[in-house]
Amino acid sequence: MFSGTGKTTMRSAAWRISLWATLAFACGTMVVFVFLHRFVSQDIQRRSDAWLSGEVAVLGDVAVRTPKDRLYRRVVGEVAELASREVPNKLPSSKGENDSVFFLQTAPDGSLALWVGTGNGAAQLDAVHHLKSTPDAPSDLLVAGFEIPFRVATTSVGDGSRIYLGLSERDELRLLRNLRFRFFLLWLAIVFIGSAIVFLTTRRMLGHVRKITEAASRIGESDLSSRVPVTKRNDEISQLASTLNIMLDRIENSIHQLHTITDSLAHDLRSPLTAVRAKLEMALIKDGGARCEETDGVVAAIEELDRLSEFLNRSLDVAEAKADALRLDRTAINLDSLLRVMVDLYEPSMSEKGLSVKLRSNGPTEILADAALVHRMIANLFDNELKHLPPSSTVTVSLHSVEEVAHLLLEDDGPGFGEELCAHVFERNVKGPKSKGHGLGLAFVEAVVRAHGGSIEASNRHEGGARLKITLPLALESDRRHSRSLALSAH
Amino acid sequence: MRLLVIEDEIEIQGFLKHSLTEAGYQVEVAGDGKTAERLASENHHDALIVDLGLPDQDGISLILRLRQLGVDAPVLILSARRSVDDRVRGLEQGGDDYLTKPFALAELLARLRNLLKRKLSASSEATRLRVLDLELDLLRREATRGGDILNLTQQEFVLLEYLCRNAGRVVTRSMILDQVWGMRIQPDTNVVDVHIYRLRGKVDTEGHRPLIKTLRGVGYVLRDR
Repeated sequence: MFSGTGKTTMRSAAWRISLWATLAFACGTMVVFVFLHRFVSQDIQRRSDAWLSGEVAVLGDVAVRTPKDRLYRRVVGEVAELASREVPNKLPSSKGENDSVFFLQTAPDGSLALWVGTGNGAAQLDAVHHLKSTPDAPSDLLVAGFEIPFRVATTSVGDGSRIYLGLSERDELRLLRNLRFRFFLLWLAIVFIGSAIVFLTTRRMLGHVRKITEAASRIGESDLSSRVPVTKRNDEISQLASTLNIMLDRIENSIHQLHTITDSLAHDLRSPLTAVRAKLEMALIKDGGARCEETDGVVAAIEELDRLSEFLNRSLDVAEAKADALRLDRTAINLDSLLRVMVDLYEPSMSEKGLSVKLRSNGPTEILADAALVHRMIANLFDNELKHLPPSSTVTVSLHSVEEVAHLLLEDDGPGFGEELCAHVFERNVKGPKSKGHGLGLAFVEAVVRAHGGSIEASNRHEGGARLKITLPLALESDRRHSRSLALSAH
Repeated sequence: MRLLVIEDEIEIQGFLKHSLTEAGYQVEVAGDGKTAERLASENHHDALIVDLGLPDQDGISLILRLRQLGVDAPVLILSARRSVDDRVRGLEQGGDDYLTKPFALAELLARLRNLLKRKLSASSEATRLRVLDLELDLLRREATRGGDILNLTQQEFVLLEYLCRNAGRVVTRSMILDQVWGMRIQPDTNVVDVHIYRLRGKVDTEGHRPLIKTLRGVGYVLRDR
């Protein structure tokens, strides 16, 4: 269940939008930080370089002015010691001693003349010797035994000896590391909160769209009178909803108009038909069936009239179905038992004509359909076979269901559909050259099948003969409950 | 038996009045809803025949009004409309049966009889039916003619039972399809005729008087005289 919702969430547009927005946001803030970091580190470097240059100039000055006597070492040492206490960005060392600064003076022969700092200064002296150039600007110096390089400023003290002032970059790096760490935490929090906000907002927005879709599809399959929900805000989505509703209004209007037209047409034609039929029946009753020759005409007229009214019904049904406006009164119908009854009804007529009919069914197959229409549709199919098949043909009706769809197959070993007819059998007024009908039978069958959400296919079998393949959606458990509750509320 | 026919088309009105009177009913006719209301409140009727398309009001709402006025006679609705929901509505809203136009007189009479019979609470269900020398045992599902057992299929027995129950009265093909096969269809082939033909071959054998008579253009009748 959870993985199911997870999957649908991953597939939703809200998820994709928030993913891309988060990615863009994260990259943007990262670039900003990189620039900020560079600026800060350069500024720190500039400050410590300025300090180093200043201090080394002072020390050089002191070294020059102080007489080279016993006190020289002490005076210069004190000054260096004092300077090291004013180091910028200083953090207390873990060992409690000041190992971030060293002062070193070399004798003209390159030996160590004066050393102020932690240890004996041998490593530093060695490193200083390898310092290629000795420019005035401070430069980096790697000292054996120290992971972090020193920043070293140097100046010469006249007599060929040089003084070096070194400052460890440890504190500077630590400061920057601190900065990076804090930023990273902040960045994570911002990105997470941002993506959550984007996801929730888009999901809410698209939730309205989903509601509209659901409502629209409900309207499509059942009634045209309900409308999609419109939110109060006048944004794009509520505009979409109201546009859809306007469209639905127009569709409902035209469907309603079609119903009015077909209804009044039916009414206007049926009333005179009823009157005519009544007169014919009266004539028949008066005669009392005495003189056959005269009643023949009346009888034929009545039969023709009945055929005409059935034709009228079918034409109007086909017209409504072509406009997707056929009104259905759905109930649960068992196709299996319906076909058995139909075969039972048609079998005598068929065997009279020398036709045989076989029914193959896999047991009860329930669909949710308009009983009157489905009865007429199946009667139509059998009528068709009865009228058009030559003697000693066989009609095979098979019914089975595959994955919530009922498959109804009607096959015969007759002449099949004509080459030029095969693609058009379901169109109105299309009929075989020898057919006496109105060419409405299969158009009506198709109309009913389509109105019930099914499909129909006409083809010729390889062995010869025609094949009609009809599919109809099976009644689902929920549909059945729904129809039952409808039936209950109707009573 | 007194009937009230509510129908606005003069020709159909006349036809109904004429043929219903001939069938032995006392018939009153109303051409619109107002007259119908007046007649229904003045006299008692055993059944109403109501056309849905009246000039002054909708047939359904007229039926509702009459029911409110205390008219509880069963109603046979005549409808020239074709939508299913109207029929359902008609059945729901107190009309007991419906018939779509154009209709056969025999069918109208049969449905009317059914309505009236329903009201009289089905006179004690018989277990045997007898028409002249034809006898049907409804419990054992067995038919005999002059003492000889007829070899009928299940379907043929049901068909014969229906004819027997309406002995002496005309039944149409669509009534047979409706009552025996449970379908309101209008096949344009001779399916019912063949069933009747086969049944006749078994019932009206040589040496017996033919019972099943065809009334061309109308339907069939099982002779009871």
